[in-house]
Amino acid sequence: MSAQSHLEPAAGPSRRSMLRGAGAAGAVGLAAAVGVGAASGVASAATRPATDHRAAGAERPADAAGAPLVVYLRDAASGELDVFSGTNHTVIRDQALVARLTNAVR
Amino acid sequence: MSSHREAPEISKDPVADSTDVYAFVSPDKPDTVTLIANYIPLQGPAGGPNFYSFGDDVLYEIHIDNGGNGQDNITYAFHFQTKLRDPNTFLYNVGPILSLNSPNWNSRQFYNVTRIQHGKSVMIGSNLPCPPCNIGPLSTPNYANLANEAVHSIGGGIKVFAGQRAEGFYVDLGSIFDLANLRPFEELHAQYGMHVFSKPAAGVNATAHLNVHSIALQIPTSELLRPGKHGVSDSAAVIGVWTTASRQQVTLWDDWKGENVNSGPFRQVSRLGNPLFNEVLIPLGSKDLWNSLPPTDDKRFADYVAHPELAGLLPALYPNVFPNLEKLVKAGTARADLEAILLTGIPTGIVPGFQNYTGPEQADMLRLNTAIKPARKPNALGLIGGDPAGFPNGRRVFDDVVTVELRAIAGVTYPLVNPKYKPDAAAGAITDGLTAKSVPGGYLNHFPYLGVPHSGFSTPS
Repeated sequence: MSAQSHLEPAAGPSRRSMLRGAGAAGAVGLAAAVGVGAASGVASAATRPATDHRAAGAERPADAAGAPLVVYLRDAASGELDVFSGTNHTVIRDQALVARLTNAVR
Repeated sequence: MSSHREAPEISKDPVADSTDVYAFVSPDKPDTVTLIANYIPLQGPAGGPNFYSFGDDVLYEIHIDNGGNGQDNITYAFHFQTKLRDPNTFLYNVGPILSLNSPNWNSRQFYNVTRIQHGKSVMIGSNLPCPPCNIGPLSTPNYANLANEAVHSIGGGIKVFAGQRAEGFYVDLGSIFDLANLRPFEELHAQYGMHVFSKPAAGVNATAHLNVHSIALQIPTSELLRPGKHGVSDSAAVIGVWTTASRQQVTLWDDWKGENVNSGPFRQVSRLGNPLFNEVLIPLGSKDLWNSLPPTDDKRFADYVAHPELAGLLPALYPNVFPNLEKLVKAGTARADLEAILLTGIPTGIVPGFQNYTGPEQADMLRLNTAIKPARKPNALGLIGGDPAGFPNGRRVFDDVVTVELRAIAGVTYPLVNPKYKPDAAAGAITDGLTAKSVPGGYLNHFPYLGVPHSGFSTPS
């Protein structure tokens, strides 16, 4: 056993299977990073294009909860989202959220 | 190189790039085994102001298989943390660094060591300081003594060191990667008809004045083996050793923080057991994949060991020099000798008085028979030089693994499995022209065995 396997819960595919999956699916990948607990902000954030916040002179927002939460959509057709937080990786299936995300970036 | 920049992806990530692994019975403490994993290849000693350090975001591990199945029974994991005393100066140090807690030393690095066995993690060392890099006579006077302070005894008879060392691996990169030219034989190279070389030349050690970062452990042998006393012929005396580096699955540039943020489980991005395995045997299109896999998946790559590309190239690049090897290759003969050396270990009965067989599971690991005592007069050619305490019985810091593997691939070891085969005369002479004496500064005769790193002042890049 390794620390790698020890540190993580069993959930989720390996990097290798992800790579394979990405190659097999041949689908568009989409990643979104949000503060923990800010999932409800995904749709509204996605409705405006990202800008260089620093160039705009904006104040930096306080960290929502420290560690980032990253959502990766590698195959829209499957409706599966890889959610990364801390040292965890969870796969969720949410066709409605996938649709909102993909619509938001069109 | 042994494994420096050996694969496309990891060549872009030096702090996670494993370069060499060593495993040997400690010559000055033969009831212990020394394990060393090197990272961060080809360091120019003058590489300031941000001198080299381990990755705070990398999980480094040294794995030990004592069950003969290619799986780790014991793992030592290392986590590093960099601490700045003063973020408002650009300087690595603001005066001479005379001790590991010197107030003049700004950018320091510390680490934790965790031992994982039977599913349990036990932190066996915490907040251990690394030494600084060797900068020069004003910043790091008495460097050897300073680095010695970073050899930590952490209980249970274990010593640990993590920090910069002089590169101990020697190889003529410049010629080998120029279409497999070997300077001592370059007049025999086909040279693509260009007739560039008319006489032999001495080898050039391309890594002679470079540094690496080492993670070194010295551990009582009994801690690494299954319970009991094990003699040379006992398979339980053999351990398999490899290192891995892993990164969290997601890295995202946070433009507010001006730094990367990481998320997700750690996934393996670098692996190393036997020197040159991924570098020379695995084709470009599979190297990144190989780096991400455990040794138990190596059966998928066994054909590259049984039919190494280099064995076919040697007769083509050196016409009429390797006629017997050429016949072997053209016959499509599987190289069972190389499979044994690299993937299973050498069983009892092949080399008198020696074995390092871990079983039929094909897995790339350094295999060390811990019951073989250190040699009084070591031969850097190891087993093929009549010294069973050296490579491929584990690997010592001074072993000439380039020559050993070149000769093995050229056919020197094939008679181990087919006594009727007669190796070409050149197979027993092939070399890149270097020896352990090609390493300036040499090695230490005590832990951590690799030499004092070259200083930036005296070794400008």
